Amino acid sequence: MRSSWGQGRDPEPYLYLAPMLALLAVFTYWPLVHTAYLSVVRWNMAPGAAMPFVGLTNFASVTSGSLFAAASYNTVIYLAASIPLKVLLPIPIAVFVWSLGGRGAAYRTILFLPTLISFVVVSVVVLWLLNPMGGHVPALLAMAGVAMGNPLADAERAIWLVIGLSSWKVLGFHVLIYVAGLSAIPRDLVEAMRIDGAGDWRILRSLIWPLLGPTTLFVLISTILFTLQQCFTPIDILTQGGPSNGTTNLFYMVYQLAMRSFDIGGGAAGTVMLFALLLLLVAAKFALLDSRVAYER
Amino acid sequence: MSIGRRHLVAAGAAVIGSATAAHAQQRIAITFMHYQTGTSGKILRALLDAFQAENPDVEVRDVFRQSEQITAELQAAIAARRPVDVSQVIGKNIIFHLNNLPAVQINADPAADAWLARYLPTFLDIGRVGTRIYAIPHSYGTPLVYINRDLFRQAGLDPERSPRTWDDVVEAAKQIVQRTGKGGVAQLHAANKDYGTMLMVTNAGATYLARDGMRALFDSPEGIAALQLWQDLAVRHRVMPIANDQQWTAAFQAGQLGMYITSSAALRSFVAAAEGRFELGVANYPRFGERPRRTPNSGAAVMVFAPEGPRRAASLRLLEFLSRREIANRWSRETGYMPLSVDPLADPEMARYAREFPLVQPSIAQMAETVDTDRWPAFGAIEAQTEIANMIDALWAGKGTAADLAPRTVARVNEILARANAGR
Repeated sequence: MRSSWGQGRDPEPYLYLAPMLALLAVFTYWPLVHTAYLSVVRWNMAPGAAMPFVGLTNFASVTSGSLFAAASYNTVIYLAASIPLKVLLPIPIAVFVWSLGGRGAAYRTILFLPTLISFVVVSVVVLWLLNPMGGHVPALLAMAGVAMGNPLADAERAIWLVIGLSSWKVLGFHVLIYVAGLSAIPRDLVEAMRIDGAGDWRILRSLIWPLLGPTTLFVLISTILFTLQQCFTPIDILTQGGPSNGTTNLFYMVYQLAMRSFDIGGGAAGTVMLFALLLLLVAAKFALLDSRVAYER
Repeated sequence: MSIGRRHLVAAGAAVIGSATAAHAQQRIAITFMHYQTGTSGKILRALLDAFQAENPDVEVRDVFRQSEQITAELQAAIAARRPVDVSQVIGKNIIFHLNNLPAVQINADPAADAWLARYLPTFLDIGRVGTRIYAIPHSYGTPLVYINRDLFRQAGLDPERSPRTWDDVVEAAKQIVQRTGKGGVAQLHAANKDYGTMLMVTNAGATYLARDGMRALFDSPEGIAALQLWQDLAVRHRVMPIANDQQWTAAFQAGQLGMYITSSAALRSFVAAAEGRFELGVANYPRFGERPRRTPNSGAAVMVFAPEGPRRAASLRLLEFLSRREIANRWSRETGYMPLSVDPLADPEMARYAREFPLVQPSIAQMAETVDTDRWPAFGAIEAQTEIANMIDALWAGKGTAADLAPRTVARVNEILARANAGR
């Protein structure tokens, strides 16, 4: 019989958890706490430099600029556009691939390939393809009588190019996650509904959609958390946040503040605000959707 | 082998090993952080090897970092107390390095002034604080007009007569667009966010930033005229396809652009790209009317961060080595960077090179017309430069004239700089 520990608790599970808890503490929670601390001091990483406490000055300084306003506005667009493109669009594609059974392997491979290609390579190729001087896309469209201009130089269109690229990059990965979720649905149920006279739409709405709830919630949360990171590379290579701040977002702004101008306090303040925004969004999603999702036990 | 002989061999090996170890202990290892890659990286290594051959007691370890990241990498390395004794630094960031990192005064020993005098004096201004020098010029570029001479011919232009002023550039570009359907001209824009703007207005006779970097001043009549010209190239004359630096570079290399204005550092890659595709020409940066040419240089200087002692002494010996005319000229010849020495053609090797490779001559001719690059303060620079980049985007999109947009941008930049640097 095991001896009691503390107030009668068994220490064994905690020992198993200890390595993971230690890693989380060192690499997740400590940086989080330290970032919060850096957001209220003035520091530029110089060795031995003083770190005076400045209260909320860094927050005021970051939020008072036009860069913050543009980055915040664009962040909302990136997040809002990502839900239909990265969360909803993969569902019908996944259902199609799933419906093919074993014959769907080729489609899965084709869809997953973009996930494996380096985003740097993709961005450079896009630069070439869209080059207004001899690029293949403008040349082909010109043959059809369409003058496309240069979307990378157009503040209104550039953000949609970045969103489109990042959606294309993760589409296959999300399809794969949905296919995995669909595989847990017994095909007998689908057959039973068909015998009862249900059509495709009815099966999707009344059977697949509810049973796919946990997978959808997972994809939704990860999309909210990672969309801004996924857009970082194409922004940095294609537009550097321009034209006219048209493609920047809070994540890219934080990078510019911290790693280009070494305003560590400003970068940390931006990070804290971004963290708060994402936390709020994820909490809201859980509050609204989690109760409607049925988990198997 | 007998036991006695085996012991003898072992003892000999031990002696040799300990001697080698002692020699290794005596060698001073210094670290040189740089952003030279490909051919330039190999040439830099060859020069460092030549230095080592002359100074067997010094080992120079070169550490490559991307040019966009080198400031952050240097900052992080020094913050983490990793040794970086010598580093390339982007010119516009020198004030940041001076204020925030343990930069070493290169002429603390007055004897250094003798070898520093090998450089063109204006090239030392970027790292000069009063009489103290903190940086030496190294990978400097000067803006040149690269010309596709085949497109000139197809457009009915004389490729032997390169455009001399901006008016000439506009006329030639119009003819190229009309007769060939290709792009006319473009000038690099967003390198370091604002170099192209600094170049355009400085050459027109305007002051871009105040000497202390704390105020933008380019809304003068000269500055507005230069910015209006840039808008006209895109909007009124329609000879400049709106794109970014990478796209213009790719288009010029593919023979799709008549003239491209960018750094002399691109010379080697453009020569390689033009091989078998089109005839390349190079001309000096266009003058603004009859005003004297004033071209801020782009690129990197070299600074020392080594602690006092043997590493610092070895680092300064390396800088002295790099300053020698034949070494600086070799660096320039083999990479395409600007010559740096006073009278580079006094070196017979360089004179022969300039005769055999005339495309380098505009770069040498432009040395005397090079002015100090404007330097941004440590804080607020990114946001201020973004405002300037946005102004150029707005000009090209026809959202206002230079007279409308430049004063507003200058006001915003100055407000950003004042706010970011208040109380620092």
